[in-house]
Amino acid sequence: MSNTRGRTAIVGIGEVPTGRFAERPAIQSALESARQAIADAGVRREEIDFVMPTATLYSFQFGNELATARLVEELGLPNVSSNCQVFSGGSSSTNALRVASALLETGRARCILFVHTDKLGTGVSAQGGIDLFSTAGISAEWEVPFGQHYSTVAALATTRYKHETGCTDEEMSAVCVSNRKWAELNPNAFFRKPLTIEEVMSSKMLSTPLRAKHSNMLFDGGGAFIVTTAERARDIAPRPAYVLGEGGAVTHFAYSQERDLTRFGWADAGRQAFAEAGIGPKDIDVAEIYDSYPIYQIIAFEELGICGRGEAGKLFLRGETWPGGRIPCTTDGGMLSKGHIGAGGSVSLLIEAARQVMGKAGTRQVPGARFAVETATGGTYFDAQVTILGSEIP
Amino acid sequence: MNSDLSTADLSGRPRPVVNSWARPFWDGAREGKLLIQRCVTCSQPVFYPRIACPHCGADELAWEQACGRGTVYSYTVVMNNAPSAFIPEVPYVVAVIRLEEGVQMLSNIIEYDALRLTCDMPVEVVFRRLDDEFSLPVFRPADPAARGE
Repeated sequence: MSNTRGRTAIVGIGEVPTGRFAERPAIQSALESARQAIADAGVRREEIDFVMPTATLYSFQFGNELATARLVEELGLPNVSSNCQVFSGGSSSTNALRVASALLETGRARCILFVHTDKLGTGVSAQGGIDLFSTAGISAEWEVPFGQHYSTVAALATTRYKHETGCTDEEMSAVCVSNRKWAELNPNAFFRKPLTIEEVMSSKMLSTPLRAKHSNMLFDGGGAFIVTTAERARDIAPRPAYVLGEGGAVTHFAYSQERDLTRFGWADAGRQAFAEAGIGPKDIDVAEIYDSYPIYQIIAFEELGICGRGEAGKLFLRGETWPGGRIPCTTDGGMLSKGHIGAGGSVSLLIEAARQVMGKAGTRQVPGARFAVETATGGTYFDAQVTILGSEIP
Repeated sequence: MNSDLSTADLSGRPRPVVNSWARPFWDGAREGKLLIQRCVTCSQPVFYPRIACPHCGADELAWEQACGRGTVYSYTVVMNNAPSAFIPEVPYVVAVIRLEEGVQMLSNIIEYDALRLTCDMPVEVVFRRLDDEFSLPVFRPADPAARGE
């Protein structure tokens, strides 16, 4: 279908721990992540010719300064031709990879550094975070006046999905337990203590049927990756994460305008990505699925064709997504357990997808992982973005 | 559980941002009318108010009064961690309403019995006055027996 399959690759990744680090400014997280990614890739600083940061939601200084190329100056990158921000909320990572791949394929760039950083854990209070997410990405004309915020957004999808499929609270809670199993193995995750379904189901009710432990929490964090051409990748990386397929669907802006709150466009996006990659859902070794709330992990699983409609919750409940399971899912712990770092929620997932395919995931490495699928979405699930990475080109 | 309109503090509630082309909607709401648009060219109903038809791209959209009846597509009862402006109203219901005309809108449900809230439940519009400028279209169960005390 496409002649772009495998023409670019992620060759280096970097990430700082997710958590509350009041003394760690956003620029520090960005620089540390970038330095790690450059070292991991083994590229010379002179090779990087494009720096592609995404936006921060809660570091005014970083957002304000970025256009002045501070990253380029601080990192001492002498040959950068463009410093161009790519931002689409929670799908920024996937969209940035798409833009980066296109630039590399056309020869406009040869080696691109992507960076994310944010400070949502200590840059804003808990109530301030709720208030920020009662306006960010929510229609000020038609939804803010009715008390919409991200708990109600997720709850509305959960209520309707349960109504249509019979999915239980226990199944929904099993998603949180599965992600925690992986976070226990991730030193960069914030929540690392074992979690039970009973603990999830007895936590404070937020917006019915969504409870506190069904909800992500906001933290400070940062991540970076290096993308280059497949030719260069083969020279420098023993096992690059080739970009095999990408797909996307922008479905709505105002959440109330979405005609089907139990499907969010991942079926279309997945079909595009799998067709481009030349593989199918059954070939996937590891799934890094956007998980700001369990409902989205469940819906994406089903829409991608990993399992049938109404079956995902049962699959999580049976532990098939746990370490050692049949279809390992969200292996860094995700936003539910590693922590939500703003636009970086999916940056973490894309980095983890690359990490697994590159064989660098340590104690949580999925043995022999060749193909990974990653999903991302921005705002109130405006868009469905799918990326497929592989250690080989089918 | 029910909602008591007489004592609810709405003073801190965010007012809608109003664009010029949506002004008739808010003028209608103040007079107790739920207005939607309809495309003069393709006849499709349109909500929220637009400057052009999102179905066919035509320029001309006419206003009409909706019947005010619909169903609950989905809903949630906010119990904790509400935005600051809504803390005085907890618990409150956020719902996506499907109007009989075929369009969807976000709103609140009032006069509800929490045990009888369900998806696809019939509801009817009522107007909740915020101040001299704004009345919000909200919904209550169409069946009086399904309402709270």
